[in-house]
Amino acid sequence: MHATQTIAIIGATGNMGSAISKSLSKGNYRLLLKGNRQEDLDVLVKEIESGHPVAEIETAVCPVEAGWEADIIILAVPFAAEKEIATSIKEVANQKIVISISNPLNETYDGLVTPPDTSAAEELQKLLPNSKVIKAFNTTFAADFTTPVLDGKQVDAFIAGNDEEALQTVAELVTTAGFNPIAAGNLSVSRTLENMQLLLIQLGMKYNYNWLAGWKILHN
Amino acid sequence: MYEEYFRSFNKKVPLTQEEEALIKTYLTPKKLRKKQYLLQEGDVCKSFAFIEKGALKSYSVDDAGNEYIIQFGIEGWFISDLYSFITGEPATYNIDAIEDSELVLISKSANEELLRILPKYETFTRLNITGAYLAMQKRLTSIISSPLEERYENFITLYPDIVQRVPQHMIASYMGLTPETLSRIRRRISTK
Repeated sequence: MHATQTIAIIGATGNMGSAISKSLSKGNYRLLLKGNRQEDLDVLVKEIESGHPVAEIETAVCPVEAGWEADIIILAVPFAAEKEIATSIKEVANQKIVISISNPLNETYDGLVTPPDTSAAEELQKLLPNSKVIKAFNTTFAADFTTPVLDGKQVDAFIAGNDEEALQTVAELVTTAGFNPIAAGNLSVSRTLENMQLLLIQLGMKYNYNWLAGWKILHN
Repeated sequence: MYEEYFRSFNKKVPLTQEEEALIKTYLTPKKLRKKQYLLQEGDVCKSFAFIEKGALKSYSVDDAGNEYIIQFGIEGWFISDLYSFITGEPATYNIDAIEDSELVLISKSANEELLRILPKYETFTRLNITGAYLAMQKRLTSIISSPLEERYENFITLYPDIVQRVPQHMIASYMGLTPETLSRIRRRISTK
């Protein structure tokens, strides 16, 4: 038996947040969900519980309480909102894994707001210097979580970070969510990963992938 | 969040503000609710815990599902499966919360780094491990050589807080007795 890990998902009612919450509820995790509106959170919890009655899932009163109880914290919020949340959870997130899922897209979706020599994940690491920031779930669309196999192939999900053990833990999360985890490198590789998703979003709009698209490395 | 930890630290080894700030960067704050596990048998114990608030127990479970409590921990104490922590082998103990608790966790890598960079941390660790060893020696001697009544009286003198906060059946388990035997002993003592 493994002691159940507690995962705080901040921004759980968003597109990505609810997709991550639903898919992780199938694993051996206890989920603490925090979103902006309590009504939306309650609906999400009910929905997860009706599909998966044994799920250990609760709503949290605030990001700080959720982060304090958590072993792993997932920030499922837009890049613009990360700074404020990071500041509030900084103390309780000390030494913990914090997952950055955001892509720092500009308003027209044709570029990133971060300079080329950094990334959303590295900016988050600067705000949380004593946490283990890991980039994950930024190259997968919310719709992929219900369909992690596209065209007969399991979608790859890239992760990046500087702590080996933390990468291992997050790879297990990614597997639970149904994707094939690929550890891409240290946290600065997030620059590439965030640009990859920019490209996929642009291609999706151009060729109408209808948000059901993902990355797959073909190799022999 | 770390008040008790640094109170305990400073009592044994006084720290400067800079040293406290440095140590803080290595600590993991963690809340645990009543009945939640900190560690389960079979997992590797990857960090040890200092208890800021609350109460925990470490215990082993036999094939029939009986619990044998090894140690209680309350505010100001450490709790872990030290054997698993040091060797990296799967834990033989379970650790769970008897009350809602607030912990300070020190991971293996954080512990090793602190030992390396801060001699005062090494001193603090040595004092704690020495203390734990002495307590264990006392407990072992008492188990193999003291009469039951004396063992129970020693326990309530040494740990009055635990007697107040922990259910009797857990104290019986800690002493290696059935709850019935323990309540018989308690009756005998109270009529003395």
